[in-house]
Amino acid sequence: MDLLLQYLANGIVTGSTYVLVAVGLTLIFGILGVVNFAHGEFYMIGGYAGILAINVMHLAVLPAILLVLAVAACVGLGAEVILHRPMKNRDATSSIVSSFGLAVALQNAALIVMGPQPQRLNLDASKMPLLSDLPTEIGPVFLPHQRMLIPLTTVVLIAALYVVLRYTWTGRSLRAMAQHATVARLCGVHVERVALVTFATGAALAGIAGMLMSSVFLVYPIVGNMIALKAFTVVILGGMGNVAGAAGAGILLGVIESLTSAYISNSMRDIVGFVIVIGVLLLRPNGLFGKAVERS
Amino acid sequence: MKKYIAALASVALLATAPLGLGGYEISVLLMILFYVILALGLDLVTGYCGQFSFATGAFYGIGAYTAAIMNRDLGTSIWLHLPAGAIVAGSFGLMLGIPALRLTGHFLAIVTIAFQTIMYLAISQWTSFTGGQVGLSLRGTDPLRIFGIELFELGTLKSYYWMTLAVTASCVLIAWRLVNSRLGREWIAIRDDETLASAVGLNTTFGKLTAFVAYAALAGIAGVLTAHSLRGVTPDDFTIWISATVVAMMVLGGRGTFVGPIIGAILLALLPEFLGRYAEYKMVIYGVVLVVGMTFVPEGLVGRFRRSTAR
Repeated sequence: MDLLLQYLANGIVTGSTYVLVAVGLTLIFGILGVVNFAHGEFYMIGGYAGILAINVMHLAVLPAILLVLAVAACVGLGAEVILHRPMKNRDATSSIVSSFGLAVALQNAALIVMGPQPQRLNLDASKMPLLSDLPTEIGPVFLPHQRMLIPLTTVVLIAALYVVLRYTWTGRSLRAMAQHATVARLCGVHVERVALVTFATGAALAGIAGMLMSSVFLVYPIVGNMIALKAFTVVILGGMGNVAGAAGAGILLGVIESLTSAYISNSMRDIVGFVIVIGVLLLRPNGLFGKAVERS
Repeated sequence: MKKYIAALASVALLATAPLGLGGYEISVLLMILFYVILALGLDLVTGYCGQFSFATGAFYGIGAYTAAIMNRDLGTSIWLHLPAGAIVAGSFGLMLGIPALRLTGHFLAIVTIAFQTIMYLAISQWTSFTGGQVGLSLRGTDPLRIFGIELFELGTLKSYYWMTLAVTASCVLIAWRLVNSRLGREWIAIRDDETLASAVGLNTTFGKLTAFVAYAALAGIAGVLTAHSLRGVTPDDFTIWISATVVAMMVLGGRGTFVGPIIGAILLALLPEFLGRYAEYKMVIYGVVLVVGMTFVPEGLVGRFRRSTAR
């Protein structure tokens, strides 16, 4: 029983990063209709930006997080210019190939610049104000500050995203675009700006996930491959374009993976998510909570 | 008529090429031939039938591992491996084709990437069956014997090259016949409008499945040829980056054209040879080719050339 609680906690930690990556992915798909296969590379770049900020520049945790947010958001803006702007008037499948190409280019550029060896981010979360007061043992569950930081940051960022989407004009225009792009444009929504904001937000969330995870696991040039696949799994389970669904499904996937590696086999850990997603797509081709497409 | 003369001339040129070339150049030509088969196969399913697949590397690997495992356990030779590789990879293609019946666009792309990843995890972790990360090695290729009479021996690089050329030419011919058959036109109909295709009475299920099987079987044949040419297989020869390379070849040459992917395969397979000491940048360049090609020439080089001459 005590072990089960520990596995659940570990699952929630990894699940939180899936949520951060998947929410960005689902926003970009829901609002712009772009299927971004380069989303895992935002995570990878976030990890390396974190290493730059903390291992090299020796910044404190909060300024480092801000720096990573800024770097990842800039990468997101660049990705919008490459993936979305020239493809606007084409069918959605064009972005599949070009974002796949961007992912391949970024991964291999990272391989040449950073080298193939995995690197660790030396983040010492136990010295952070506020966080250091929290106990690392909650009942039978042991959770170091590094790991604790991940779900806490996720909650803060997703709550902030929710407030922005719900109560600001930018958020309203984002939601308007998601509901009906043409009508939103007619009502005066600045489409170019919405596209930039969406990509920057998605990339920033994934970048933070990459930074936080690199202090627990390691970052390496092709780390984004697996993360992007996990994020797609989550997005499909949660319904393409559904932010709340992605948040729920992300935690769920993290917990399922943690329990699989604990009770079945560690080598099944990465496969179980794909098996679930192929199964779900076979039974419900539009995802677990997806809406049926209109027939032509 | 012109087309057939051009095709015959290029086969004749390729057949006489090894006489004046060294071992290194012949291995480069071999690699180009493997990529021609892969790119053409992908063109059948994506270019003609409109179904995305990023799992080329997986089918390529299935063919190669079929050859390596049969060679290890049964001691068979390449003459049996070629049909076996095509059949095994084709069956996996059928397996991947079944979800494709209900999925389109991005969902299908994600499932093929997942399939590619699962395949890679399987061949790199199932050590007792596939040799794990170390891979497997193959014995030298036996000569072709019929009733004990030696017809063709494959010990040398040149003879292996001629055999590969013959197999590649047959694959190209089969693909050409498929594309110009009733089935090929059904694939095009499914790509252009699936609802309409089924409304006029075409069996879209059959069409999509055959496209997937043909694609996978061709990739499997390329895998068998590669395994015997390298005398071994390792999981890292069959990653998603192989899939990316083949997609780049098809997109650069022109999706849905017959010669396009062949030209794309030749260009991108030769590229690292011209990069010299910058050869490590080749995957970055392939990625950039995908982005730039998709943005500025989505119809590919051949498609762009045809459009400009048609005017």
